[in-house]
Amino acid sequence: MRRTLQRLALAALWLTPSAALAQDVVKIGFHAPLTGFAAADGKSARQGAELAVQQANAAGGINGKKIELVVYDDEGKPENTIPLANKLTGQDKVAVVVSGGYSGPTRAAAPVMQRAGVPYLSAYAIHPDITRAGDFIFRTGMMGEVQGRAGAKLVGELLKKKKVVIVAVNNDFGQALTAGFKEVAPKFGIEVLKEHTFAMPDRQFGPLVAQVKASAPEVIYAPGYFFNAGPLVAQLRAAGVDATIIGQEGYDSQRFIEIAGKASEGVIVTTSLDRDSSAPATRSFIENYEKTFKDRVDMVAASGNAAATVAIEALRKAGSTDPKAIRDTIRAGTFETAIGTLSFNSLGEVKKAVQVQVVKDGNFHRYAVIDDLGFLAPPEK
Amino acid sequence: MLHVELVLQGLVNGSMYAVIAVGLTLVYGLLRILHVAHAGLFTLGAYITVLITNATGSLPLAVAVSAVTVGVAGMLVYRLLYEPLLDRPPYVALIASIGLFICMEEGYRIVFGPYGNSFDTMQLTERINIGPIGMAAADAAMLVGAVVLLTGLGLLMKRTRFGVAWRATVTDPAMARAFGIDTVKVRYVNFFIASALAAAAGALVAVLNNLVEPTMGSVPSYKSLAIIVLGGLGNVGGTLAAALLLGVIEAYGTIYAGSFLDRDAIAFVFLIAVLMVRPQGLFATGRP
Repeated sequence: MRRTLQRLALAALWLTPSAALAQDVVKIGFHAPLTGFAAADGKSARQGAELAVQQANAAGGINGKKIELVVYDDEGKPENTIPLANKLTGQDKVAVVVSGGYSGPTRAAAPVMQRAGVPYLSAYAIHPDITRAGDFIFRTGMMGEVQGRAGAKLVGELLKKKKVVIVAVNNDFGQALTAGFKEVAPKFGIEVLKEHTFAMPDRQFGPLVAQVKASAPEVIYAPGYFFNAGPLVAQLRAAGVDATIIGQEGYDSQRFIEIAGKASEGVIVTTSLDRDSSAPATRSFIENYEKTFKDRVDMVAASGNAAATVAIEALRKAGSTDPKAIRDTIRAGTFETAIGTLSFNSLGEVKKAVQVQVVKDGNFHRYAVIDDLGFLAPPEK
Repeated sequence: MLHVELVLQGLVNGSMYAVIAVGLTLVYGLLRILHVAHAGLFTLGAYITVLITNATGSLPLAVAVSAVTVGVAGMLVYRLLYEPLLDRPPYVALIASIGLFICMEEGYRIVFGPYGNSFDTMQLTERINIGPIGMAAADAAMLVGAVVLLTGLGLLMKRTRFGVAWRATVTDPAMARAFGIDTVKVRYVNFFIASALAAAAGALVAVLNNLVEPTMGSVPSYKSLAIIVLGGLGNVGGTLAAALLLGVIEAYGTIYAGSFLDRDAIAFVFLIAVLMVRPQGLFATGRP
């Protein structure tokens, strides 16, 4: 009997502090590829989200409670993401989850979040099926096809060029961008001369470059990531191809400019982050990120930060951790973030302008803003 | 014109495969170990080249330091990982090798960061034009580098006492020992040469891409296995031919089959096709 009492007392001692703590924090779940092939983007996304949490905590947290970011490594693998999604919802009891991961893991986690009734925000995964998992799922990043449409408008209307060769990474990112581009290309009188694909691990594009050179396009539309785009752009320029190169948010990292060197000058990208923005949310993000992490901002960091900001703002405005209240707050609200002013349509897709940036003197700068929200409208179902 | 460039680009890629895969086949020929961690040494060579070039401004010095350091690292891998496992079945060493490779990849990520590194000033950016055919200097360096390295290796194997000792050890280790050959020394030198070649390949790839990353060894790790199987396991000449052939096939595949087969798939489709017709590989095995 005495022993049982002792045990109970011990158990009580062990339980009390954590139970007390649990009332003082609000947990936000987060997953991203912190190891493996996409670890670079995972690190940026995580730093972006951490910065949002740090700043919110420094400003007093959410209605007096501190925010805790619960971080997991999805390794970029869908099969790893389902168990950790269950862990976030079942064990960690987080109020909201932010995905700083690619489409594969985010698509896998979305139905788990929907079933558990936990609001889920995808920062930059682009696959259309993510938000179709249900009404708890939102996307703060652009859909691939929306960005592809913006790319075609950039080529046809702003640059007034017609002859295009597409060179795309052969995953959902490249496919969605290519589909969006081709969907509206005829409207701008754009002729797609040839289409090529490459794989995500490819860094040597000799044969593709030879073929692109033979096609002699005015514009090369080349969806890919900075680690593909850096070598690709350098190799195109080294081979004497001087066509305008249009990239996307995958290029949006200082690393792209470091890898491609001088060849990156004049490359134009469609992205979410406007380096020359005067909006306070964007300026404060860029300054604080570079000060905190001693590194340059990129699109992924800005997107991770924006998604975490929406989560925090929604928790604050909803005034509770009731998932339905948070969901409805996100759906009805307007949010000032590092990537601009965000609101959501009935499917949970973001409505926002597309930033067009150009590489000039070794930095990204504003080239144009495509803000025709009717033209850019994401699907509603 | 397109075809000339495609073949040339294929040979550039093929020579990179050749320099990596020859090292792998040297190890297999001697020890019957599938040395997957070879690709981790390739990555290490690339990192050392970039870091030392950025620190000293001299690419040749960096390549030399990289080759020697990685050569020694290869000897350590043999001493610490493979030697204790030599009397176990070959799959034990293979599993250990895969484990080491994963550790190396994650180790590079932790030490050097996930974003990858580049040269502060891009190397070999000139363009070489011979008549209408143009080529980037970095591509030419890859081709010339591979020819020099592999010719040197060929001479070493054919013309020197070490070469004789190496071939004797491959053919029959017990008999070689009986004739007074120090087979342990042969193994160390073998690992040094194979790993230094991997480092050289890493350096050439670093120049070509201006980018080194923790995971840059993942494609070479399995593709070079396919190449040594195609070349006839343990056959150095066969490996060389298979690597160049695969480079050219991939170059054409990227353009004409790229819409339904990615570049890495092409290598394995080719491997399967060859193995269906010639199960021993394109060329005879180094040792029956």
